[in-house]
Amino acid sequence: MVGCCLVLSACVQAPVIKEGDYALLKSNYPVVSINGTETEPAYRLDIPAGENTLVIVYDTYRFDYYCTFTWKAEAGTAYEVTDQYNKYPLTLYRWVRTNSVWASRLDPIDPQDCSSEPRRSKTPEQTDDSQ
Amino acid sequence: MKAVVTIHLLLLMLYVSITPVDAASVTPALPGLSTISEADIREYAIAFVNMSTSPGLEGATLTVDNDRRQSDQWRSSLGFNAEFTLKNHIFNGYWGMAIVGGRLEDTIELIADNGNPVALNITRDVVGLRGSLGLSFPIDKYFKLRPFLSFIVSDLQGDLILDDQLVQDYNLPTNRVKTTAQMWSGVGTLEALYNRWYGNYQLKVSAQYQLNYTDSFSEENPILDTAVWNQAAQFNVMFTGPTRLSSAARPWRWNTYASYVNFLSTNKTALGYDSYLEVGVGLDWEMNIKPFDWFGWQYLGIKAGVIGGENIEGYSVGLTAR
Repeated sequence: MVGCCLVLSACVQAPVIKEGDYALLKSNYPVVSINGTETEPAYRLDIPAGENTLVIVYDTYRFDYYCTFTWKAEAGTAYEVTDQYNKYPLTLYRWVRTNSVWASRLDPIDPQDCSSEPRRSKTPEQTDDSQ
Repeated sequence: MKAVVTIHLLLLMLYVSITPVDAASVTPALPGLSTISEADIREYAIAFVNMSTSPGLEGATLTVDNDRRQSDQWRSSLGFNAEFTLKNHIFNGYWGMAIVGGRLEDTIELIADNGNPVALNITRDVVGLRGSLGLSFPIDKYFKLRPFLSFIVSDLQGDLILDDQLVQDYNLPTNRVKTTAQMWSGVGTLEALYNRWYGNYQLKVSAQYQLNYTDSFSEENPILDTAVWNQAAQFNVMFTGPTRLSSAARPWRWNTYASYVNFLSTNKTALGYDSYLEVGVGLDWEMNIKPFDWFGWQYLGIKAGVIGGENIEGYSVGLTAR
């Protein structure tokens, strides 16, 4: 029983957010541009509070969809980008730890646009990280 | 012809089941039984298990009613499935887990070989646990292919009550036979999904093909010590739209759906049907949580549907989780 509680309490951890005026962004798909600057594909970012514009790629076998999100990030807040059969391939949520068993995805934000391009020739190398 | 096959099938099952108990008191062979194969008997039991445990099927109450057969079947499941992201890969992972249960109450009226009317009452219960694991390949933003494997373990309990007249006519030692069998199944599924939005309305279409291998073990009934291959196909379409309702600042959406299931390789005599169509409506609450910070659980809903087909009618009411 004690072991079970320990396991459960470890399931959903409070996010570790960089001190100062920063927010945390977790994405299931690679972020390739931050405020107009191209970057190496990243899945976890400390972003400055305030308005940010990110480009995140949703890959498929026929097209790559470059989804542009612009929103005002609040300091000390965690955000998450994922795919959920919504209107656009990707949706940005505010991520909140509800308790030790689950987190909530709140305040969905659609991308301003998801432009499609034929699939990149690059084949990504394999490092699995399930989420 | 269909009723006759079923009658012989059940008599043979009874005969085989009781032979080891008291062979001396049983007639050497029941008339007409030579026309029935053991495969028919296996199919009767395993069709019920597959109908109850196959992935993609949700809760349902079904009634088969024809001239000589009245059958009620319940199926329910409590489970969930979801995709999970494999970073740096185009494809995602897919997993699912469910507890499934089913019950069959079958009453078959027949005329015995000596002309006397008799009835058989059969009850079957199955409880199973199903786990699925696979991959999801997004072809584009609308279309996905999802192959996955499911492993199912189940326990089957059967209870056959024979008409007293039949017991007397054939000098059988008992009018009641209980059977248990343990089964495991491996199911390979290929699913194609199409998802598209039209304004605030969403269309979801999916087609599924399943190839099912079931291995059955029974100490009491050697006929159920067997392995059987089966196939099934499903086609689902759902249309959803917004409502003005919200709970805890989360919106509700309505949906209407149609689902067609065909047990491609199952003989219609096994359960009294081999396909059905379900149409219904539902309400989904977009609760959008992430259990264990691992997978997304977007909708919790309720649904109600009616089921129809040749010789079959029924309904479906239940909770849905997506």
